[in-house]
Amino acid sequence: MERIETDAIIIGGGATGCGIARDFALRGVDCVLIEKHDFAAGTTGRNHGLLHSGARYAVKDESSARECIAENIILKKIARHCIEDTGGLFVTLPGDDPAYHDLLLAGCRKTGIAARDIGRKEALAREPNLNPEITAAIAVPDATIDPFRLASSNILDAVERGARVRTHCEVTGIILSGTAAAGIRCRDRKSGQRLEVHGRVIVNASGVWGQEICRLAGIELLMFPSKGSMVILDYRINSLVINRCRKPGDGDILVPGDTVSLIGTTSEKIPYESIHDLEVTPDEIQALLRDGEKLVPNLSRTRVLRAFCGVRPLVATGKGATGRDISRGIVLVDHKERDGLDNFITIAGGKLMTYRLMAEQATDLACRKLGVTAKCRTHLLPLPGSERFKVPIRRRANFGESVIESTYYRHGTRAGDILAGPGADESLICECEMVTAREVAYAIRHLQAADIVDLRRRTRIGMGPCQGLLCAYRCAGAFMDVKGVDGSEATRMLIDFLEERWKGIRPVLWGDTLREAEFAYWICEGTFGLGKIVAKGAGKGEGVVIEEEYK
Amino acid sequence: MIDLENTSFDCCIKCTICTAYCPVARATDLYPGPKYSGPDAERLRIKSPLLADHSLSFCNNCKRCETVCPSGVRITDFIYKAKGSRLKKSHRLRDFVLTRTDISGRLSAGFSWLVNPLMKLSVTRFFLSAFLAISRDAVMPAFDRGTFVSGFRNQAKAQEGFPRKVAYFHGCYVNYYDHALGNDVILVLNAMGIGVTAPRQKCCGVPLIAAGNFKAVRKNAAFNIASLGAAVADSDMKIVFSSSSCALTVTQDYPHLLAMDTSAIDDRLELLTRFLHREFAAGNKPAMGSLNLTAAYHSPCHLDRTGGVRHTIAVLQSIPGLRLILLHSECCGIAGTYGFKKEFHAIAQDIGHRLFDQIEQANPDIVITDCETCKWQIEANTRFPVRHPVSVLAEAVKKF
Amino acid sequence: MNESHDYDCLIIGGGLAGLTCGLACLEAGLSCAVVSSGMSALHFSSGSIDLLGYNADRTLATSPVDALPGFIEKNPDHPYARCGAETIMEAMAFFGRELEAQSAPMYANGRENHFHITAMGTLKPTFLSPASVFTREIRAAFEKRPAIAILDVKGFRDFHPGLAAANLRKNKLFADCPITCGEIELPGQTPAAGGARDMRSVDVARILDATTNLEAVAGAITAAAGRADIVALPAFLGLNRYQEILAGLRRATGRLIYEIPTLPPSILGMRLDQALKSRFAALGGVFIARDTVDAGRIEDNQVISVHTTGQKDDIRAACYVLASGSFFSKGLVSRYDRMFEPVFDCRLDTPPDGRSLSGAAFLSPESHAFIRAGVITDGQLNPQTADGRTIANLFCAGAVLAGYNPVIEGCGGGVAIATGYAAAKAIRARLHPPQPTATAGPQ
Repeated sequence: MERIETDAIIIGGGATGCGIARDFALRGVDCVLIEKHDFAAGTTGRNHGLLHSGARYAVKDESSARECIAENIILKKIARHCIEDTGGLFVTLPGDDPAYHDLLLAGCRKTGIAARDIGRKEALAREPNLNPEITAAIAVPDATIDPFRLASSNILDAVERGARVRTHCEVTGIILSGTAAAGIRCRDRKSGQRLEVHGRVIVNASGVWGQEICRLAGIELLMFPSKGSMVILDYRINSLVINRCRKPGDGDILVPGDTVSLIGTTSEKIPYESIHDLEVTPDEIQALLRDGEKLVPNLSRTRVLRAFCGVRPLVATGKGATGRDISRGIVLVDHKERDGLDNFITIAGGKLMTYRLMAEQATDLACRKLGVTAKCRTHLLPLPGSERFKVPIRRRANFGESVIESTYYRHGTRAGDILAGPGADESLICECEMVTAREVAYAIRHLQAADIVDLRRRTRIGMGPCQGLLCAYRCAGAFMDVKGVDGSEATRMLIDFLEERWKGIRPVLWGDTLREAEFAYWICEGTFGLGKIVAKGAGKGEGVVIEEEYK
Repeated sequence: MIDLENTSFDCCIKCTICTAYCPVARATDLYPGPKYSGPDAERLRIKSPLLADHSLSFCNNCKRCETVCPSGVRITDFIYKAKGSRLKKSHRLRDFVLTRTDISGRLSAGFSWLVNPLMKLSVTRFFLSAFLAISRDAVMPAFDRGTFVSGFRNQAKAQEGFPRKVAYFHGCYVNYYDHALGNDVILVLNAMGIGVTAPRQKCCGVPLIAAGNFKAVRKNAAFNIASLGAAVADSDMKIVFSSSSCALTVTQDYPHLLAMDTSAIDDRLELLTRFLHREFAAGNKPAMGSLNLTAAYHSPCHLDRTGGVRHTIAVLQSIPGLRLILLHSECCGIAGTYGFKKEFHAIAQDIGHRLFDQIEQANPDIVITDCETCKWQIEANTRFPVRHPVSVLAEAVKKF
Repeated sequence: MNESHDYDCLIIGGGLAGLTCGLACLEAGLSCAVVSSGMSALHFSSGSIDLLGYNADRTLATSPVDALPGFIEKNPDHPYARCGAETIMEAMAFFGRELEAQSAPMYANGRENHFHITAMGTLKPTFLSPASVFTREIRAAFEKRPAIAILDVKGFRDFHPGLAAANLRKNKLFADCPITCGEIELPGQTPAAGGARDMRSVDVARILDATTNLEAVAGAITAAAGRADIVALPAFLGLNRYQEILAGLRRATGRLIYEIPTLPPSILGMRLDQALKSRFAALGGVFIARDTVDAGRIEDNQVISVHTTGQKDDIRAACYVLASGSFFSKGLVSRYDRMFEPVFDCRLDTPPDGRSLSGAAFLSPESHAFIRAGVITDGQLNPQTADGRTIANLFCAGAVLAGYNPVIEGCGGGVAIATGYAAAKAIRARLHPPQPTATAGPQ
């Protein structure tokens, strides 16, 4: 069994966990991050990627609004390549309470959010696809943020500064030493191997799954999950973030996210047990499309690529709470104070927007326990790729503008390392999102992409209209070439990817999405004959069984 | 910005058929192909105009990609819109000369006695190459003397006498280069008891579209729509085209690519061979003599794109004594003015050679095609005379 | 031909079903046109023709010829049941003859299925294959437990021999076969670096079509293949000269060269498409390559004419065939709230609601319900209008039909050919009814 010694252990590779790893690394604290699946694979990656200005909270939740605008300004500086400063609108539709418009403006003024009443005409000029029947509009400094890129760049910085990370590694137990936590027991989900990590402080940053981690430590910390569903559209049907100017409802935020648009979100309280196995229901999809169409009428004619859902954790801070002391803000728990367990911290609640602030608060507390006095610098230093200068990449025949700019968009100043660096294979792997073989190799080598599903989060392969088919096969080959995995393992990766893709496609199976699904099915069955491989253990990629006899 | 009228890139299933059949992608690996340049990149160009690739300029607008696409994606519309609005315009004199066919035609046709021999001189060709980036090896077509329109004035009176008439969109080619074809059209239609009018018209604009000059082409389009619309307004007259590319531009590109309102003329537009085929089928067939000719038929890309090839073939099949060899046609390479340009000439020749080889193998008496630039290209690269279907028809009519 | 008609038979759809039907009509002396709105699904096919890979109980069908009667009995609503076992075999024989006549022969393993190897190294049962996939010679070679080399071309990203090899090695049939992987470089190959376009199988096929130096290719194969008896290559051995290339390489290397279909477009499928279209043209068929039939006029349970979007033609025929394919080819259209057949609004057999359209796992052995959706027909392959009236001069063929799953039954190609052929037969009987004999009178 492998044994690792460190100062700080972080459980959870969401934005907060990744932010904590970077924060520790910047303060010179040795740390190890353990993630069950992949970075940003949970709640972090399951939202619409809106970099709130805070305007959405300005009417009802002033402190959230202030937090948001403060972090908004910081992130626009340190995470440039994860953010697109699109600007946002709050639009009032006929039938919406016109008073909310004034309330929002007043709330923004009070909380220091630069909101401006721009009127219908200017709004339509800036966003021509908007419903022409809108009656009023407010411009706010909303932007978009790519949560995958954000988590990945935090990790990249942390790792380059000495942090160690393990993905696809599940925590199976907390090692206690008297009244203090001393380490964790884990199992590598890919190899099945066990390992122990010993450290002086443990930060539980596992979000809604934090309840289970606490239970492993013998602590009761209740989470009240709320499910939010979203739908992804084939291309950018809007160029600004569009919010409906009313009390938050289902399909009232339309966000341009890289090459696509996302409409969200529903909100539904769900029992804790169901968080592992969530599906988007037809009713949710109908509600989202119906409301979204009111914002941008063209939406009803656009191909829906996929539907997905995430779980927002609301934390009950009090002991044994049954919903009374539920907090909507950031929750930092020192379990020594709450439960008498030393060296164990839980950070939960909050939003993607405030991940850095949450990381700072958790790291501050952990450092106090470790006796480290170094101050937080995560708000000052840009993430790798987000430095101010732009790397010049010479246009070559094989790297056209769309390839170069897409790579730059995804990796910021690191794009130079990818496109200009050594390496022979310059072919395109994902043709929808212009991902080159070099970018795939870079993600496998430097960004901890352990399988094709991870690659999707690092590079956007398979996030375009076809949702990954030819690129997935090519990536299976890339894992063999770059990482030396064997053909069976690469086959399993391919099947796992296709099944992961199917989960999101299945709820939106009509129109061109159904055409695409039929095409993919022909290729997978006819060209690949994959049905034969999964004959046993469907969807798991297990047990390659071929029964027929060759004639 | 998103064009709400054409979001057909949304229907692309990424099957790669278009790229497999693209003649340019086949000839040069500097062109990433229609899938990449069209639907794939269009999503990115909506995100940011910075993402428009320079490789777009390699597209020759043959529209083979649209002909083979199983999803109905208007691929070249995206490519040309991106060229027009997102790539830096080329203001070269060459593009002016090649795209403003009506202006350069009008200027040159008056001096055809001077221009034609001049174009054959190597010193002229050197200057064309050096200053206009027109390939030295390209064979430039010869101008006719005067214009078709000025000649037509003499017959206009006689045409008035026919009880049934059509409006003829002769295009720049007939007007400046090949008056004989225009006269053949009149001869054939007259033999069927149909008179011809020639409404005022400007270049349909297909060379301007190829150069991405949408402003100029919209002007021409507006003029043509108004003029043709007025010409047929008080009758049930059809508007017929002898050029397949003019027909495609007016019927498809005006409403789709340029978003012009063509509702006034929509149901009147017809390729001439389709008009003839329908007349023949209805029993109005001119009397013809037998030709005793073997002809190889090349279907132009733009005719393939509209599915109208069957009409031309049916018309040709009705000519007595014409033995028809149907070529397995692919693009001839010239694609309007593409093949004249220095940077594309070699690609155009490479695209065309498969067709030229087929023609050599067929060894016909003549080659027939509906497109004027295909005609130039085949004449410049094979030893066979090339005729328009209607000219062959006219010959049969004359033989009677 | 009736003067009021443009054609005896107008076929909507230029895929395997439409072209087979067209060929059968032309051979029967009927005039015939095909309207096709783009390239067909043949471009994504393996290039082999599956007749019946699996029995009704999902076990492997050793001999589809023997299994068909029982299969039909158990699946009375299957398109095969509309044709009958005899017509199905007649259709396969007809199809074989047509390809033979076009010098693109297909090979069968007698009455039995054979297997073809996929890009992931699995085996699929099929009935007819081209010479690069199945012949008696290949069968004999595999029976000897040969050494196999799976080769790739340098700079080609659409095939990974390692994936095929890993899964093939797991098959107990190949337990005794040494399987190796390798890479070759093509002479005159444009270097991948510097080009804007990546090499697809069709590009390699064209390089090979154009090469004057097949010896060099053979040399590279021999060097990379080591001691292998069988050399498997991604299917890219030319589009036009493929038979010459295959034979030349087999001769020069002294090994059996085998082709594995790769990512689309599939060269094996494209060859089949080309052969069928050339044959159709040679027999005088009219192939309208780019137009779309968007509506049909029906009067008194008869189609009077169909309308096209491109030429805006009203085409009239004595009989019509709907061979417009499934969702991909837009023969069937699905919207958020409904499914329909877009030309005639024929009655469909569809899953009751959106939720039951698909299985929870993409690759589940149960497959997906949307694959089975399609037009309901009677025993004559005549469909019904939405209000339930049978359309007497309209026949349906191929993937637009309901009631079968080409994937789990292994019958896609067979259904297309059999129903296309059966439709042509029915049309012929309708247009040229057998003369009544003296004994046949009113009952």
